[in-house]
Amino acid sequence: MAAKELDTTRNAVPFDRANIPGPKMAKAIQAEMAGKLISKARRPLLIIGTAGADDGVIDMVKRIAEKGIPVAATGNSIKRLKEEGIDATYVNLHALVSYLKDPGWKGFDGKGGYDTTIFLGHTYYYASQLMSTLKNFTNIKIISIDRHYHPNAQQSFGNLKPDDFLKALDMVVAEL
Amino acid sequence: MAIKKGRFTIENLENVQITIGRIVSPGEAEVAEGPTPAPEIHDLRDWDMKLLDRYGPVYSPVCDMCCYCTYGKCDLTGNKEGACGIDMEAHQAREAMLKGLIGTAAHSAHGRHLLNNLIKRFGADHPIDVGPSNLKAPLTQTIMGIKPETIGDFIPVLDYIEEQITQLLATAHTGQEGSSRDFESKALHAGMLDHLGMEVSDIIQISCLGMPKSQEDTPLADIGMGSIDSTKPVLLCIGHNVAAVTYIMDYMETHDLFDKIELAGLCCTAHDMTRYNENAKIVGPMSKQLKYIRSGIPDVIVVDEQCVRADVLREASKLHIPVIATNDKIMYGLQNRSKDEVDAIIQDLVSGDQPGALLFDYAKVGELAPELVLKMAPVRKEMGITALPDDDEFRKLTSSCSQCGACVIGCPQGLDIDKAMEAAAGGDLTLFEELHDRCIGCGRCDFECPKGIPILNVIEKASQRVIREEKGKVRIGRGQVGDPEIREEGVNLVLGTTPGVVAIVGCPNYPDGSRDIYEIAEEMLQRSYIVVTSGCSAMDIGMHKDDEGKTLYERYPGRFLKGNLLNTGSCVSNAHISATAIKVASIFARREIDGNWEEIADYVLNRIGAVGLAWGAYSQKALTIGTGCNRLGIPVVVGPHGPKYRRAYLGKPYDKEKWNVLDARDGSVQNIEPVPEHLLVSAETKAEVLPMLAKLCFRPSDNNLGRMIKLTHYIEMSEKYLGILPDDWYIYVRSEADLPLAKREELLKKLEKEHGWKIDWNRKKVLEGPARKVDVSFQPTNIPRLCKGASE
Repeated sequence: MAAKELDTTRNAVPFDRANIPGPKMAKAIQAEMAGKLISKARRPLLIIGTAGADDGVIDMVKRIAEKGIPVAATGNSIKRLKEEGIDATYVNLHALVSYLKDPGWKGFDGKGGYDTTIFLGHTYYYASQLMSTLKNFTNIKIISIDRHYHPNAQQSFGNLKPDDFLKALDMVVAEL
Repeated sequence: MAIKKGRFTIENLENVQITIGRIVSPGEAEVAEGPTPAPEIHDLRDWDMKLLDRYGPVYSPVCDMCCYCTYGKCDLTGNKEGACGIDMEAHQAREAMLKGLIGTAAHSAHGRHLLNNLIKRFGADHPIDVGPSNLKAPLTQTIMGIKPETIGDFIPVLDYIEEQITQLLATAHTGQEGSSRDFESKALHAGMLDHLGMEVSDIIQISCLGMPKSQEDTPLADIGMGSIDSTKPVLLCIGHNVAAVTYIMDYMETHDLFDKIELAGLCCTAHDMTRYNENAKIVGPMSKQLKYIRSGIPDVIVVDEQCVRADVLREASKLHIPVIATNDKIMYGLQNRSKDEVDAIIQDLVSGDQPGALLFDYAKVGELAPELVLKMAPVRKEMGITALPDDDEFRKLTSSCSQCGACVIGCPQGLDIDKAMEAAAGGDLTLFEELHDRCIGCGRCDFECPKGIPILNVIEKASQRVIREEKGKVRIGRGQVGDPEIREEGVNLVLGTTPGVVAIVGCPNYPDGSRDIYEIAEEMLQRSYIVVTSGCSAMDIGMHKDDEGKTLYERYPGRFLKGNLLNTGSCVSNAHISATAIKVASIFARREIDGNWEEIADYVLNRIGAVGLAWGAYSQKALTIGTGCNRLGIPVVVGPHGPKYRRAYLGKPYDKEKWNVLDARDGSVQNIEPVPEHLLVSAETKAEVLPMLAKLCFRPSDNNLGRMIKLTHYIEMSEKYLGILPDDWYIYVRSEADLPLAKREELLKKLEKEHGWKIDWNRKKVLEGPARKVDVSFQPTNIPRLCKGASE
């Protein structure tokens, strides 16, 4: 059970070394725990960045989407997601965080906002800044299951090697 | 007797001197005109609040704390209040304002320095000459309510800017302002001032220094590290303020030295050098600074101000390159040699007794720099200075890398340097060659490596093949868009039949290398947008070529017409881009612009499909340029580093109440489609930004043909780059005539099936569904006083 030995809390330092936002930084979590937290979410939203369409990662996106979690495709990930038959909605990430902090936004399905955001496949510094908006101005949970430690999330993996990253995603999916 | 400005002595009264600074004739436009001439901070607040109500600020803190005063540090996480009572939102707005003010001060101080210099050389009476235009200083006229005729007329303009900067800066003191919206209004004020300061800076140098004046066919300048002839002595000038460098070029011209010395510029000084003398060459934008110094090629470096690395002297000294500093902004701790003889200074620098010199006497700079470089080049050659590692060293360095990844974590771009090191150790340089264009040349990696590998040098050594091929062409900065061009093109812009103006501007902190902006420009040009550019972006656009070896400047003409590519010039030439929008309002729509910012900005927001793209924006100047555009109603897109500016202005297309305007014909309220959707927004990739640019060119005033053209591009680029028909395409449709011709039937079916619109299929007409109908006489405005029958 090699996957079980994977510790996703190691090397939990900001991938961009100086990206130390302040006293409140993400707790590094194990992959199983990330999966459990996502499972408990009432209205989760999986937010995919451009690298979420990369080989390997996109298979995990597909499996998460198949669990019924709505997918917001940011950057230009939508192209590949559609090609792979993943039901996703294109939205600009900056605009999305603006909508998420608006209590009046009805969500993509018209049923209201989201209580948990799950970040995967983003340009590191870009997502970090926009998580900062959610962290400081909303009560929405921010779970990063991206390859690098994101201090502005509430829970995040540490910095992972590419192979371990895919294993970690596999473990997340297994908990959903 | 004609009275002139200047200093006069009176015969027999030796101790009496009379200075005439300004001459005002009765009835002349020395009195500021318009509703808000020289506006104070609060004068345009109502306009700002209208913008901020629709385009709500979205904050993304870089730091969750405030450490401005000794109450702190205060933890503001979660929008908490600090000890002084400020909350996170207001603090972030204050931060954005302060950062913008730094940029505004940089451009305006540049203007002041240049104006003082040019008045000394040419006199305050020197007339403004910007080319074939009656509207010579659109921003000055719109903000100040005056029409400057001479360069001396800009003295009170800079006085005004400096006073406003002081007032704005004062508001950042602990306590005081607690409203994020008011800080935003102040940031917008600073942005507007920035455009004014830039206009002053560029108009005076165009007028005095013989730079191109609204010239569409300026010559092409050489650009690129590979275009510099390193067999000659190389004199490198870095910065943004060409004042001192003009003396160097004059000296070189007078002494026939252009054949003997390679004169190269880096950053915007380089643009202005080519505008002053076509013999100058451009190395490239700021991202090339450290790389080029580390190459060891320059024999002497002259710096002036603004985007100049703080470590130029340290880096240059390691390679025995003397540095001449010429401006108060950058003195590097050097000795002021302004009163010393040129020969004595040269002796100290050639011998290495001093690493550089501070020189405020520009006549001496003019003589010293070329003479010094002629002496330094053989000395440096004889010393056998080698900058980059040789092949053996390179192998040792790459083999010593343990792939720990510290450099990757230290890299602002997160580049896979470790993988490139591994490949290079095995003899494969392709990863480094690919990485080279994406590397912004900051050198942070050097400080991260636990083994002390000089990583940037390794990157440069590995990329010698591609560096040699870095040869491009840039059309020399043309200055303003002339009035005749506006007369020709204004109507197309306002009706939308020219799909839009895309201003590709700003710094080289690109997320994925400089090729992106070349490709963005190319796509928009092929689609007949007018592409206007300046500064570092204008350089990088010229660095790339098509299959036939031609740059975009060689493929597309430079008139202000659809499908043309214009380089206005250096960073301060950005003023001409916003000024062009004002010119359209004035010349095409005959709006009164004097002291009338609000009305003109309202016109621009509702009528002119222009958008700015600062894809690699890094500087405080880029922030304030963008904010100034925003106050004028021009949306701006930044790259993925942009949210580090802490604030954006985003619209909510689903909130219909935010999209009401007035019809100036009768004051009735009209609910419009959400256009332009955002005022300041970021995008992650080139593929994402292209359709976004098309969408941000929509305006409520578009006629059917214009909207059809714009919608066609938005849909086509969404399909091409994102692989989708955009979800929101239908909300921009007001009638069947707005639909792209090639897709009309297909889209009508979608409107009927997916959106419940009623279609008359016999006539292929929309019967019901759109939020509003097209009315060619519609006069959209956000300002009640502009409506017919409104009392002032």
